[in-house]
Amino acid sequence: MQMSTRFTDKVAIVTGGGGGIGAGIAERLLAEGAKVAVLDLDAGPLKAQLADDMAARLFAIEGDCTDLGTLEAFHAQVTGELGPIDVLVNNVGQSGRARSAHFHESSEEVWRFVLEISLFSAMRMSRLVAPAMRERGGRIVNMSSDAAFVGDAGLVDYASAKMGLIGFTRSLARELAPFGVTVNAVAPGAIRTRAHDTMPKDVIDRIKADTPAGIVGEPEDVAAAVAFLASDEARFITGQSLLIDGGRWMI
Amino acid sequence: MTADFTGRRMLVTGGAKGIGKAAASRFLAGGAQVACLDMDEAALAELEPGFVALNADVTDTASVETAIAEAAARMGGLDGVVNSAGVDLQSSLEDMTDAAWERLIAVNLTGPMKVCRAAVPFLRVAGGGTIVNVSSGAGLQPLKFRSAYSASKAGLQMFSKSLAMELAEAGIRVNAVCPGAVETPLFRSSIAEGETGDAQLDAVRARYALARIADPDEIAAGIAFLSSAEASYVTGVALAVDGGRTFH
Repeated sequence: MQMSTRFTDKVAIVTGGGGGIGAGIAERLLAEGAKVAVLDLDAGPLKAQLADDMAARLFAIEGDCTDLGTLEAFHAQVTGELGPIDVLVNNVGQSGRARSAHFHESSEEVWRFVLEISLFSAMRMSRLVAPAMRERGGRIVNMSSDAAFVGDAGLVDYASAKMGLIGFTRSLARELAPFGVTVNAVAPGAIRTRAHDTMPKDVIDRIKADTPAGIVGEPEDVAAAVAFLASDEARFITGQSLLIDGGRWMI
Repeated sequence: MTADFTGRRMLVTGGAKGIGKAAASRFLAGGAQVACLDMDEAALAELEPGFVALNADVTDTASVETAIAEAAARMGGLDGVVNSAGVDLQSSLEDMTDAAWERLIAVNLTGPMKVCRAAVPFLRVAGGGTIVNVSSGAGLQPLKFRSAYSASKAGLQMFSKSLAMELAEAGIRVNAVCPGAVETPLFRSSIAEGETGDAQLDAVRARYALARIADPDEIAAGIAFLSSAEASYVTGVALAVDGGRTFH
């Protein structure tokens, strides 16, 4: 990993940063000097992968990103301990793949869960950081998915939430542009995470066959793009959706 | 911060001015060897000594092939290409001449094809590489009286994406960036003098959520990201660096 200091003294929040892609993002921002706050049900995997000097700048709270009260308390605690938020990465999301079903058999309970964790949590967390960002600028990066663009049979709720994030990204980008806040989305394709590793082999093979690069990406690939969009380098990029999918979508 | 380009051998068309020069400067600062191709002799002469400056006309196959072979010879190969050479054309349909249309397509669309065709064999020898084509926000969302320009830039995006599929197996990533208005000689040439120009600039700024015109280095930041190892799983995208106009 390339070491640099793009985020020295910056404060970043990564929701769902305890494992998988989120942990990759948290680690990357820590490696570049940020103080990183993570809210996740289980922060164990992230803590286990961090070197001591980075762990010292990690502020991990275990809690449920779908709960408004938990988000509010987390935000208050983080800003109190670390200061105002420079970078918000709305990473948390879940496909509920274990619960996937034919659409006509799907339940509203699952839809609500998927929308709560993948879309509403991003809206709520953004609402919490927006007042200070309107005063001092900032960066918001939302975790969409190429499932939103490609479509994903059996994951109608998930793809809907992830496309909802695109509309959210574009609208909030317009609203916050005058205040020096950029809002962008990243849309990963197949990335090697725990969730990915539990997918049936035929599903993985089908995705690989659809991907010109012919490989599955790594959490670091997504983290590098998020770090770019969160950096000063990307100050003229806003409202965009960056696909990190080895060329699977291309539209 | 500049991405790490240590050991990379980069070639930039339109590299003596504007966005191309800004990208070339980032590569150089990141430790790369950089060849700048341009047809503006004066601008080439003003480049700092660190660059390999080569006169080339992207509309001329022989000129492109000669310059790319020389760039590869002088740098010991090629790892990355940026197609930044481009021209603008504002014209109503009825005023469009065949010559003006053909010239614009020759530079903006056929030029990158000639450059890629000549450069890809070198990238294959290197075991892979990167291509970034400088498209435009006008290739995502049209601009009035720029039908030729918008069409050329949209064409360049689809050229990039098809090439991304073709070259993925060779480890070559192909992406496009789509700038909005950028403070470059090309952009300035499209703005009138005096109050008319001021009104034009206000109208341009109003198109962007960030309400300003980009600095070339801000576009170069996107080019550098896509050209770097940071973007190793990114291919076939068109990244808009446009202050919020196209919302792609």
